[in-house]
Amino acid sequence: MKDRQKAILAEIPRLRRYARSLMRDSDRADDLVQDSLERAFRRMENWQTGENPRRWLFTIMHNIFIDTVRKEQRRGEVIPISEMDGSQVKSGAEQHEKLVARDVLDALQQIDPDRRAALTLVAVEGFSYAEAAGILDVPAGTLMSRIARGRDELRNLLGDPGRSRTIRVVE
Amino acid sequence: MTMKKTFSDTDLHMALDGEMPPERMAEFNRWLDENPDEKARFQQFAEDRKSLKDALDPVAGEPVPSRLSAIRSTNDNSSGGFRSWMAAAAVVLFVAGGAVGYLAGTQPGEAPNEASLLADNAIAAHVIYAAEKRHTVEVGANEKDHLVAWLSKRVGLSLVAPNLEQYGFSLVGGRLLPSGERAAAQFMYENQNGDRISLYVTTVDSKGETGFQLVEERGARAFYWLDHGYACAVTGSLEEDELLKLSRDAYRQLVSSDDW
Repeated sequence: MKDRQKAILAEIPRLRRYARSLMRDSDRADDLVQDSLERAFRRMENWQTGENPRRWLFTIMHNIFIDTVRKEQRRGEVIPISEMDGSQVKSGAEQHEKLVARDVLDALQQIDPDRRAALTLVAVEGFSYAEAAGILDVPAGTLMSRIARGRDELRNLLGDPGRSRTIRVVE
Repeated sequence: MTMKKTFSDTDLHMALDGEMPPERMAEFNRWLDENPDEKARFQQFAEDRKSLKDALDPVAGEPVPSRLSAIRSTNDNSSGGFRSWMAAAAVVLFVAGGAVGYLAGTQPGEAPNEASLLADNAIAAHVIYAAEKRHTVEVGANEKDHLVAWLSKRVGLSLVAPNLEQYGFSLVGGRLLPSGERAAAQFMYENQNGDRISLYVTTVDSKGETGFQLVEERGARAFYWLDHGYACAVTGSLEEDELLKLSRDAYRQLVSSDDW
């Protein structure tokens, strides 16, 4: 039991990173991690011996995320897509890096949630296509088309001249 | 320039994500060189992929908030480390001397029950409100004077909100809670990592003293003590020695505020 607990807790940094890609607001992202950990601990017996805890936990988190998205869509709740970070003005290069990061995270929030999940599982979390398809419970072909469309969608948002102009003005 | 497209969009994404078999990569790269448009597209996607990873990676390096690291399996009862630590704590308290009157005047059979009930209430209140994002407190630290006066009146003790800045914790605010038929005050503190600790104060029938007692449950750790009709608990998920130091300091500030 202790070992399993340790294995689960060791995944928290990755779970937080994935949650932050799904939800821009860090409090809501941590709420998602908390819900996932609580569910994981309640269902520890469902975790099969030998199964990679990372895939198991990401699957749990994905299911909770999808439930949340559906609930919010029904309620029509506004999802905050951007939060200004109150960090101090840094060197030009550092500041530019921050702006790029903020821009890409904002754009990520605007793409379809299913595509967002597929793209970040593979491109950020480093899962193989097979693993990501397993976590999302979709066929590999569906995963690949979500990744392709997600990338196109993200690029269109980032390539929008209105957005890049904002970057230059802020700099 | 050859117009014959020998690689598909799927191939392009597979190459980006490291899914293309190594033996095809050389051929793929050659194809990119022959198709500048595709190459530009590939490079743009690769750049976006890197920006995305760079933007999110720092999150994995952040300290884990205690509300997450404190989550434990509910059916995990192993507490060996905790017990052995209790023995060490007893020694420390004994050496620390009379400030808390450790063991002196404890009435066996009576005070411990009331004390453990107090600890349960304090931990339950901590677990519920420390995890609360928007409604952590009823009255915020910006109205500290009002908060302290109100809670003092309701609890029936002359309270202060101890200053815990030297431990990195600032007052968030407080709330009034039921404690059996009486009222209890909870002061909530937070550090820069978003870790929270709470101080719970109420009155009790017991006139005994207990010294500091440690209890761990529901992922939270609390030091609690009874002292001549009042009861306190400091709850959080700090390391034990840090929490004890902070508890003793909070206690010192509480009692020096008035003749309780």
